[in-house]
Amino acid sequence: MSINDKTKWRENELSYEQVLDKYPDIPPIVALKIDVSRRGISYTDKAFAKVDPNVHHVEPYDYMIGHGQNVSPIGLFLRDGSVICQAHSKVYDWTYRDPYILDVVDDKLVIVDNDKVYEEAWFWEKPDFYDKFTSNGTPMRMVASARPQRITIAPATKCHFWDNPKEGCKYCALFSGHRAANDEGDIRDDKWFQDVEETVKEAIKQKGRYASYHMTAGSTLSGAEIFDDEVDLYINTLHAAEKAFKVKKFPVKLVASAFSKKQLRRMYEETAITTYTTDLEVLNKDLFGWVCPGKAKHVGYEEWKQRLYDAVEIFGRGNVDCGIVGGVEMAQPNGFTDEKEALKAVLSEAEEIASHGVSFAECVWNTLPGAIFMRQKTPSLEYYVQLALGLAEVRRKNGLNIYTDDYRRCGNHPNTDLARID
Amino acid sequence: MADIISKELKDIIADPNTLKVLATVDKNGVPHVVFKGSFHVNEEGNLVFYEVLESAQSNKNLVHSIWFDKKVAINILSADKQSFEIVGKPLKSITAGREFEKTYIALRESKGDIDLAAIWIIEPEQIKNETFSVRVSEDEEKYPILKHLDRLFVQ
Repeated sequence: MSINDKTKWRENELSYEQVLDKYPDIPPIVALKIDVSRRGISYTDKAFAKVDPNVHHVEPYDYMIGHGQNVSPIGLFLRDGSVICQAHSKVYDWTYRDPYILDVVDDKLVIVDNDKVYEEAWFWEKPDFYDKFTSNGTPMRMVASARPQRITIAPATKCHFWDNPKEGCKYCALFSGHRAANDEGDIRDDKWFQDVEETVKEAIKQKGRYASYHMTAGSTLSGAEIFDDEVDLYINTLHAAEKAFKVKKFPVKLVASAFSKKQLRRMYEETAITTYTTDLEVLNKDLFGWVCPGKAKHVGYEEWKQRLYDAVEIFGRGNVDCGIVGGVEMAQPNGFTDEKEALKAVLSEAEEIASHGVSFAECVWNTLPGAIFMRQKTPSLEYYVQLALGLAEVRRKNGLNIYTDDYRRCGNHPNTDLARID
Repeated sequence: MADIISKELKDIIADPNTLKVLATVDKNGVPHVVFKGSFHVNEEGNLVFYEVLESAQSNKNLVHSIWFDKKVAINILSADKQSFEIVGKPLKSITAGREFEKTYIALRESKGDIDLAAIWIIEPEQIKNETFSVRVSEDEEKYPILKHLDRLFVQ
């Protein structure tokens, strides 16, 4: 029995084609990216046969959640130069919608749904540094990861909001896989900082590959003031990376906890950092407490917002970004049940926050194994298309840029892809 | 689509003394025209050029064209004043990967400290000879009544 035979999801929401007809301002390729992000994409054997680990960027296919075994490419290029950040999607007994299919037709990789070919796609390519080792013998691929145009260092793989049961963000499968781990994998001594320096130096030998240095990690709550230890770790890691560059400031995208003004000033004044992102995740105070209980307990929704505004004072309008998990406001039983009401509430709150100089980067909520919300039903494509268009309009209206999280420097946000034609 | 650009025109496009102009429109229909010296024809018979500025209006307009299946126009003016208009559609924008990196390195070696935003590939659909003498002849032949009477006056 197919998934649709079981859930009848296709009968209950507008199809991709119907959404395009109803919303002519959404580029079809962006709508497809949204839908693939929402539903996932499963590779056929023929598609997997096209993978050459010596050429293509592969990782354990569920490496983001920490228990992968087989390898899969982790992303696809589309013909407009944008990307889809999706590895092979497995189907589970709770999967509500059929994933798209990545198949091979006429020797080309193509994205298929219901036997219809929608777009050609290409695998991302492997970074040169992935085969190299630091002088300490550490594989560089263990020190940094990459997207087609950015290098990422994650100094801490554990998110301490998970330290207390049920306080991690409920949609999250990124850190939930590590929630039972201790910090043994995160020893950040002089040897590790040397590894960072050598890896970044090696990476940027690949000319034209990187347009952004990205740092992110799980939240570390410890320190004299909450997040002080996290700030120290980022500063020390950035100092190691800075040795690879001849300029004081370079394009650094930091996605981190909501730091205090004092902590932000330290980051800005002591490091190369140029932009800062901290994620409210869900733009609703009540739902924030339910979806992100750790963030709500240790910082709080209003304080998180205030810290975003404080960051604008330091980094400037458009250089501060707020990530959201688009659609999670409809998680049940506490979320919105009506898509129109949800959209109105989210965009209204986005407008208020953007008026303070904060841009938005929307990820499409996808229910992943390991997340508390893994059995939830995500909203319709129509909802996501309206959300992407609405957030793009909020950004335009407030005269904000989104370079730090655009299609090149990130690639995982439909609303920022739309900025390519502004 | 078949390779529709003749060998003669390919040679003209490849000549560094040839002027190559790209015309696009933005999302509001506002036209934009700009010279793009890097235009050349690849092995598949498609036009290729290098967009070095991410913020270039032509780059934004080409994204709009590839998103909404809109056409663009290129005009070629050779050193000896032969002119050709090529209308086509953007097929692909290469923004990363080995081909991108190879082009990035080559551009920097030849042009100095510049960046690369995208390699644009445009599929030609229609070619028209816009050389002035050719167009005048065409006009005389096809539209003999479209002229001022004083040109026909017996001196």
